[in-house]
Amino acid sequence: MLMARYQQGDFGAATALIDHISPQLHRFFVVQFASRADADDLLQETWLRIHKVRHTYRPGEPVLPWFYAIARHVRVDHYRRAVRTRAREQTLEQIAKSASASWGEPVHDDTLATLLAPLPESQREVIEMLKVAGMSLEEVARATSTSVGSVKQKVHRAYKKLRERMIALGLKKRESGELS
Amino acid sequence: MSDREIDEVLQKAAERPHGLEPALLDRIADSAKSSLQPVRPLPATWVLVSGVVLICATAAVAGAARAGFYGIEQLSLMERALIFPTLGILMWVAGTSFVNEMIPGSRRRVTPGGLLELSFVALLGLFALLFHDYRADHFVHAGIVCLFAGVLHATPAAFFSWLLLRRGFAVNSIAAGLVAGTLGGLAGVTMLELHCANLQAPHILIWHTAVVPVSGVMGALVAWLIRMARTS
Repeated sequence: MLMARYQQGDFGAATALIDHISPQLHRFFVVQFASRADADDLLQETWLRIHKVRHTYRPGEPVLPWFYAIARHVRVDHYRRAVRTRAREQTLEQIAKSASASWGEPVHDDTLATLLAPLPESQREVIEMLKVAGMSLEEVARATSTSVGSVKQKVHRAYKKLRERMIALGLKKRESGELS
Repeated sequence: MSDREIDEVLQKAAERPHGLEPALLDRIADSAKSSLQPVRPLPATWVLVSGVVLICATAAVAGAARAGFYGIEQLSLMERALIFPTLGILMWVAGTSFVNEMIPGSRRRVTPGGLLELSFVALLGLFALLFHDYRADHFVHAGIVCLFAGVLHATPAAFFSWLLLRRGFAVNSIAAGLVAGTLGGLAGVTMLELHCANLQAPHILIWHTAVVPVSGVMGALVAWLIRMARTS
C-alpha cells in the first residue's frame, strides 16, 4: 500500500517507508561487517537505487524481498569497488580481527553483528533476513535469488555453527567458574 | 541448546539499538523529495514474457525468411510438431527467467545455469530422438557456418529482448546476461531449424545445439564487460 503510494509520488508514503525500512536495512549492512559509517553510506546508496528503480516493484508482490534484493546488490557493488581500490586487504584485516575477537566474548553481551561473525556471508544474511527482519523462507529465497531448499540448508548449517559456538562459550564460562 | 534458545539469543541481540541517526533518515527523505514524480510500474510478467518471445520468434522467422525456409521444407510433420513447440516452450521458460532476472525480488524457479543446461539437454535429447542419419559430410565447414548464423540471429534477439526490459533492474547482471544469451540462442536454433536443410544427426546435434551455450556464454561475457566498465 505504502509502496503503491510512493510510486504515485506521495512524499508522506516515501517518508513512512524510509522510517520503517531503514533500520532493518541498516542492521543488514552492519551485520555484514560494514562499519557504522559504511552502513550509513550503503543505506543512502540503497535508497538512491530504490528511488531510481521504484517502478520495478509491482503492487501485490512481497515488498521486503524487493528491498533486500536491491540492498544486497548495493552491498556487492560496494564490495567490488572496494576490491578495485585495493581496500580489500584492509577490510579483510578488519573482518579477521572482528571475527577472532568475537570468539572469546560472552554471547549475551554481544551485538548481532558479533554474534553472527563466525558465519560465512551467505549464512549471515539469510539468518538476518529470516530471524531479525522476520521474512519467510519464500521471501528470503526471492531476496537472495535462490530456492527455498537452499535457504533451509543455509539456516540449518548456520544454526549448527551457532549452537557449537554457544555451547563452547557456555562450557568456557563453566570451566573458568570452576577454576576460580 | 535448542533452536528456540538460539532464536531467543538472536532476538535479544537484534533488539539492541544499533545507532541509526534520525538525521540520516531526514537526509534520505530530502534527497527523494526533489525527484518524487509518479512512476508507472512494470507490466505483468506474462505481458513482458509474451513480448520477449515475440521478439525472438520474429528474429528467427525474419532470418529464415531472408535466407530461405529450406529446413522446415525438409522436416516431416512429426519432426515439425516436436521441434517447434519444444523451442517455443523453452523460449517461454527462458523469457520468464529473463523477466524475473530484471525484476528485483522475483521468484526464481530455475537458475540461469540450470536454464542453459535444461535447454541444451532438451534440444540434444530431442534431436538425438528425431535424426538418425549419421553421415558427417563437410562436418566442420558446414557446422561453423550454421553456428555463426545461429549466433548472428541470437544477438539481435537477445539485444531487443533486453531493450524491451530495459526499464527493469538486474541485481545480478551476469546472471541476466547469461539468461538473455540463452534466450537469444534459442531464437538462433529456431532460425536454423527453419533454414538449414542439413538433417545429418552429427551436424544438428553438435552445431545447432551449440548455438545455445555459445550465445549464453557470450551474453554473460558482455554483461561482465559492461559491469567492469561501469564499476571501474
